[in-house]
Amino acid sequence: MTTTSTRRVVVGQPLPDRTVKRKKRNWSMAGRIVLLAIASVFILGPVLWTLSTSLRPPAESFQLPPSFLPINPDFSSYGQVFKQLNIMLLVLNSALVTGLIAVGQMLTSALAGYAFANLKFRGRGALFSIVLATMMVPVQVTIVPVFMLIRGMGLSDTLLALILPALPTAFGTFLMRQYFLGLPADLGEAAAIDGASPWRTFRSVYAPLAVPGMAIVGILAFNYHWNEFFRPLIMTISEQNFTLPLGLVSLQGNLGTGSISVVLAGVILSMIPALVVFMFGQRALRDGLTAGTGK
Amino acid sequence: MPGSNGMLREISRRTALGALGAGIVGATVASWPRLTGMDIPGRGDNSLSIAIMGTAADAAARQRVIDAFTRVHPEIPVKVQAIQAVDWKDFFTKILTMVAAGTPPDVVYVATEGAQLFAEKLAHPLDDYLRRDAADMKEYFADVHPSLVEAFMYKGSLFQLPIDWNAANMYYNTSALQQAGLDRPADNWTQVDFRNSLAAMRKARPSDFTPYYWTNRLFGGVVPWLYANDTSFLKETKSTGGEWFWDSFYAQDPSRKLRSGGYQWLEPNADDPRVYETFDYLRGLVKDGLGVRPEEGGGSSLIGLFASNRIGMTPAGGYWVEGLHEAGMAEDGFDVQFFPRWRTQRHQFGTAGYAIMKTAKDKDAAWEWVKFSSSLEAMRLVFPTPNTTPARRSMVNAELYAGRGPKHWKVFYDTLDKFPTTGPIPAPAQEAAVETALMKNVSLAVSGDERQLKQALDSMQRDLEIALRRQ
Amino acid sequence: MSTATRPTSATRRGGAAANNHPNGRQRQRWLPWAFLAPTIVGMGLFTLVPIVASVVLAFFRWDIISPPSFVGFDNFAQVAQDPTVRVSFLNTIGFVVVAVALQLGLALALAIMVQEKLPSWLRVFFRSAFFFPLILSAASVSIFMRYLFNEQFGVVNWLLSFIGIPAVPWLTTPTGSAAVVILVYVWQNFGFSFLLFIGGLASIPTETYEAASLDGATGWRKHVHVTLPLLSPTTLVASVMAIINALQVFDQPYVLTGGGPGDSTRTAVMVIFESAFQRLEFGQASAIGVILTLIIMAITALQFRLSKRFVFYQ
Repeated sequence: MTTTSTRRVVVGQPLPDRTVKRKKRNWSMAGRIVLLAIASVFILGPVLWTLSTSLRPPAESFQLPPSFLPINPDFSSYGQVFKQLNIMLLVLNSALVTGLIAVGQMLTSALAGYAFANLKFRGRGALFSIVLATMMVPVQVTIVPVFMLIRGMGLSDTLLALILPALPTAFGTFLMRQYFLGLPADLGEAAAIDGASPWRTFRSVYAPLAVPGMAIVGILAFNYHWNEFFRPLIMTISEQNFTLPLGLVSLQGNLGTGSISVVLAGVILSMIPALVVFMFGQRALRDGLTAGTGK
Repeated sequence: MPGSNGMLREISRRTALGALGAGIVGATVASWPRLTGMDIPGRGDNSLSIAIMGTAADAAARQRVIDAFTRVHPEIPVKVQAIQAVDWKDFFTKILTMVAAGTPPDVVYVATEGAQLFAEKLAHPLDDYLRRDAADMKEYFADVHPSLVEAFMYKGSLFQLPIDWNAANMYYNTSALQQAGLDRPADNWTQVDFRNSLAAMRKARPSDFTPYYWTNRLFGGVVPWLYANDTSFLKETKSTGGEWFWDSFYAQDPSRKLRSGGYQWLEPNADDPRVYETFDYLRGLVKDGLGVRPEEGGGSSLIGLFASNRIGMTPAGGYWVEGLHEAGMAEDGFDVQFFPRWRTQRHQFGTAGYAIMKTAKDKDAAWEWVKFSSSLEAMRLVFPTPNTTPARRSMVNAELYAGRGPKHWKVFYDTLDKFPTTGPIPAPAQEAAVETALMKNVSLAVSGDERQLKQALDSMQRDLEIALRRQ
Repeated sequence: MSTATRPTSATRRGGAAANNHPNGRQRQRWLPWAFLAPTIVGMGLFTLVPIVASVVLAFFRWDIISPPSFVGFDNFAQVAQDPTVRVSFLNTIGFVVVAVALQLGLALALAIMVQEKLPSWLRVFFRSAFFFPLILSAASVSIFMRYLFNEQFGVVNWLLSFIGIPAVPWLTTPTGSAAVVILVYVWQNFGFSFLLFIGGLASIPTETYEAASLDGATGWRKHVHVTLPLLSPTTLVASVMAIINALQVFDQPYVLTGGGPGDSTRTAVMVIFESAFQRLEFGQASAIGVILTLIIMAITALQFRLSKRFVFYQ
């Protein structure tokens, strides 16, 4: 907790390699590249297979040797996905739910994280422990009472039923607390000397500096809730309120009569928005997590 | 680093934060109807709500039925709610969720798997309506086999009218059969003939091929074999009652004497020697490389494998034709035959139809929907393609299967006529627990030695006892 | 270049560190609560109240359709007798041990390899590749993994046949299924730990390594003696997160194996789901949930206790 300034300088930098002999270093680097390449083949191979299989008719889906590259692509399965599902509505629902949860979590976690990091109050430690402890309760344990609560609020089978319970975030609060602890504490003093109120100090000094941290919370929330399956499964009933993962599963059809190519095409399609968010957010994610968990 | 740079960055961040805040408020306001579901047509109104399992496309297919219904009953507004689910169990969970949410549908399309759960807890019997409209209903029952109807009898009352159904017949790949030098199996082939055919196919194609593929599920898994061997994993009894029904609609039917007040499955039967014998037969197929070890969790690989000519035979029903067609299988690439004979040639089937909920706001209106859905006009609109088998005999015709196959589509309905003891999927009110108890022990039973088989059946018996005790 | 998104020293001014705002209005006791309100109200309503309700429900018999009836400790007694519940808890613990060990080991090894000297485009490529599975949904991953692990026609067995391994019955034997569930889970989740480790590694000051190399530590010894101790705070966070997540594993076994064959891949959370939403025994499901939550809390508390001994703070 005391070396924040030193740490920040080297964020994201490679580990310095101080091996003396240059030759030896080249060898070890080549070895590492080979190992890493093998690992990435295992990681990306299944995804490539999925892509190439989605571009072939089902009758060719079990070719061995498998083809990992889509040669002579056949896009009819993608057309089928659009025919069988109202995919634009699914995407809209997923985007609304995920977007509002992500933004909501960014705000609630920034506020709470700031309070836990920078404000003093009675019971701070205990309260923070309770917030962390909620991470340990499986969603399956609380889903029925939450469902009844939502019913009481008159929000059964709405997108808000998915959004509201997900707005507070234990992990996000934890990350933001760490993030604020990493910021120099004397910033606030300077602001206070200038006569700023505590709220103003947060809003004008700390919050802008915490944007990268909030971005991480947002990206992680987006990633998690975009793919979330269990809560939408229980909380939504009308297909108009379905999110993407639920729609995808229904492509499999009753008794598995759905076409494998169509199912896989759906998998690929659902991947795209998350991929875009991830590409834009990757840097912020990596840099931010450094501060979030480095201590 | 110059301070002005940092200042600039802070200002731009502050602006970004502000824009973000404004954006959220704007987006939330703009999408409020979507967030609260207020934009869903017919939400919260008083129209008759009908829940079916399926996708938006399935609901759209029902639109023509709704239009036709509205022409006959303009006074009854109807909305069909398609509920997407992986399997029936999943669908019933959704319906129960709706009940818990205080918004139960009025009418639900329920399959055999849930028939007794609904009859026991959620559904309203049709008896009074059938008595009242007996004259109108004669034509329907004359066109529908009594075995299907009996599956929806529960303790002497009828709860649903069968709309579609499927029996577990045997599909085969015609080229694999030819390659092995085999003819189409005889109608009364036995489990020994079946095994010999598999062995011949295995010899003809030693690799990249499996003679018999089957999945571990309640329909078409181990149960058809148990039925053929004149047994089941649950003790099957029948309740009394319903005489008036059979006398009014099926008095002339040759199988009239077989009919009852409904099936009952109250006791486990996994310790029956014939159950052991059946599992041992399947274990032999697996051991000798003639059949696969059955996978759990549905048969999602099945259609791809069959359509790519990697499977010799597999049990499936009429619902499969459209799927194979869509997967690119030629009309003459496959065909269908009865399930092999053992001690009997009793088949297993599943059926589905509309049930009226006890909580329905207007049960008379709900009955009008149930009745209309059973009409020839409505059923023609619902089943343009063979993705299931219509309950009406007159609709299972050459026209339905034209251009899709199989050549011997007559097998589908003949199953009921030729084997009148053919029975439904064993599904007591505790179906979900029973299904789990069966499925989780099947793989172990057929993929080890005799001792493992014995252990698996013991454990199945115990699991079933626990499952049936639950209420 | 990588410091661009971080606060710079330009914003840092002199002064002593303090944890609160020494402004004139110290009396504003409500102020922290205003900041905390959204989180506390939300968690109270949607987590704490439901937990209490769940504990209460554990003493009732309730099927949603008919009104609940009080049954005392019956649910707990039944749960204690149910062999499936016992097996599923043991499975979960076994799963956590193997999956978390693999996940952390793999993530750490790859993170160290990626962070050492590499051409930067390769580093970016590898980082992205390893993180990639995380953006997929567990449900869809499980869908295509089923095809890959098919016994007769799957790509995995086809590849294994080249090194002379006969077809493995992946999804139809207890050990095979357990292996698939673990492999697929680790495949999808190690990226998160990987990311945490990348962050942790980047925060180790350069001087530390300089000092270590002066002492003659090179290669893997450098990592054992310098990297691991300095990384231990990150390792604690990564392992706590990994364990909490693994204890709640549901999607992969649910879609891949349905818990079978037998009960070999049934997890605790699956049993909760099955008894609640398939058998409509909400009271019993709550009882199992209460027990599971207590176990998770005990394990986490133990971890923090142990961490006092093994974690090295800079």
